[in-house]
Amino acid sequence: MTTIHRVSGLVLVAALLLARAASAQDPRLEHHLDSTTLAVVGALMDSARSAGLPVEPLVQRALEGTAKHAEPDRIIAAVRRLAGELGVARAALGRESSPAELDAGASALRAGVRPEDLTLLRQRRTQSLTVALAALTDLVTGGVPPDSAAAAVLALASRARDDQIADFRRAVERDIALGATPAAAAAVRVDATLREVAGAANSSNPSRKP
Amino acid sequence: MFEHDDDALNRMIDRLREPVEMDPRLDTRVMTRVASPGFGARAASAWEWLRRPRAVVISPITGLGLAAAIAVLVWFLPTRAPERGEPLASDVTAVQFVVVAPGAESVSLVGDFNDWDARLTPMCAVRDGRLWTVTIPLAAGRHRYAFLVNGARWLADPSAPRAQDDFGAPSSVVTVGG
Amino acid sequence: MRAGDQAAYAVLVARYRARLGRYAVHMLGDRDDAEEALQDAFVRAYRSIARCQDDAKFGAWLFGILVNRCRTAGRRAARRQRMFVRDDASLARAAAAEQPEAPDWDITIRRALDRLAPALREAFLLKHVEELEYEAMAELTGAKVSALKMRVLRAREQLRALLSEVERV
Repeated sequence: MTTIHRVSGLVLVAALLLARAASAQDPRLEHHLDSTTLAVVGALMDSARSAGLPVEPLVQRALEGTAKHAEPDRIIAAVRRLAGELGVARAALGRESSPAELDAGASALRAGVRPEDLTLLRQRRTQSLTVALAALTDLVTGGVPPDSAAAAVLALASRARDDQIADFRRAVERDIALGATPAAAAAVRVDATLREVAGAANSSNPSRKP
Repeated sequence: MFEHDDDALNRMIDRLREPVEMDPRLDTRVMTRVASPGFGARAASAWEWLRRPRAVVISPITGLGLAAAIAVLVWFLPTRAPERGEPLASDVTAVQFVVVAPGAESVSLVGDFNDWDARLTPMCAVRDGRLWTVTIPLAAGRHRYAFLVNGARWLADPSAPRAQDDFGAPSSVVTVGG
Repeated sequence: MRAGDQAAYAVLVARYRARLGRYAVHMLGDRDDAEEALQDAFVRAYRSIARCQDDAKFGAWLFGILVNRCRTAGRRAARRQRMFVRDDASLARAAAAEQPEAPDWDITIRRALDRLAPALREAFLLKHVEELEYEAMAELTGAKVSALKMRVLRAREQLRALLSEVERV
């Protein structure tokens, strides 16, 4: 216990001493955060940066907190949480993932999607995953159980375009608003989307029998 | 030795000449700063592009059990094709935001595309002040945002997906395809 | 363009982002710093667009603004000290992600560039990576052609030596 307190004290002193240096890290945060919070957030950003993670989502989360007049502890917790989620997203999606994909992946994890499902999505879909990950997240936050949402998006992953996946998500949301159970809405709409995708593929290949 | 040293240098130069991908969301951040009304006299005329009246369609879905303020994203409407407005460049798209907020004195669009600065993207009142609208360029990706009414009340978009909240004030998300 | 057509400017931003970004990333050695410098350059260019008298030279003029922004950012970065809070909870999760293992060659290149004085690095990148003529470099940087040639020569000598050290190891 004594050791932990001693370390924490050192951390606090170091954070305060370096508040001025940390304030040079992002001028957008300088004007909004007190020196202690700025130092801690700056250090979290440095740690994320050194791990190869995008820092801009962390800056934006901190700015969102200041805009909403959140307490400093809450801002720090939110930035810390997002940094962790970005790290797990990168492990699941791969080092070559774009910042937008990592940001969307972090949101999916936050919503309850399993890292393994992010990895599967990467394996099945050759184009950018941003829209697919966003749709997956929005399905879950809209009430579709994570496993059902993941199964639906993975079923579409290798065949559907981004706009088709976005349309699928909107259709599920409309069905839920009209009273359908979320899992059932996702299952019905994914079948319809797969038929639409297959139909489009057949019509573009006249020699292929329907 | 000279030739060997130059080989390494030439390999270094070849590597440095390879393209470096930059985050396309940078475009949005630039254009948001550029489009801010506080940008100066030049911005006043430049702002006209964003203020051009656009058709507003309210989806029937948004009328279901909603409170007084209803936000609609034009691209979100079932009657529209997925393409949501004029593509400005290869990966930047104009997105129009509309909110019904009768009686409001001011409404701002605030989000990660304008550094959550409520001063940067004020919305314009139309339809006798019942509707507030603004169109901004957004890069491909997922964006968190909310409406700030009268500088004090945060409003999420009831017909857009909800963002996971960290701060006790609601936000929404919009995804722009790349 | 001078009428403040934002749609046209957005197209220019998208068009020049990658090309200018390459210079900023190599000059500053940090992607976030590079994006910030690039963003500042685009915004400043829009503000003072009336000073760009010739539409055809817009790219070069914009590049000049970026070179200056990178100089400012470089000076700021040199004063900055970083520290890592031993925040074990978040570090553990971040560290759970695979550590960035940039190819050795990229690390070597980065370290070699970082060892150059900023003026030498700037001249080297403009000449050999951006492939500008000395006269264009002189307009961008405000330095004389003779001084720029000397800087490029010294940069090449130092880089050869640095790269030789690495290959001998």
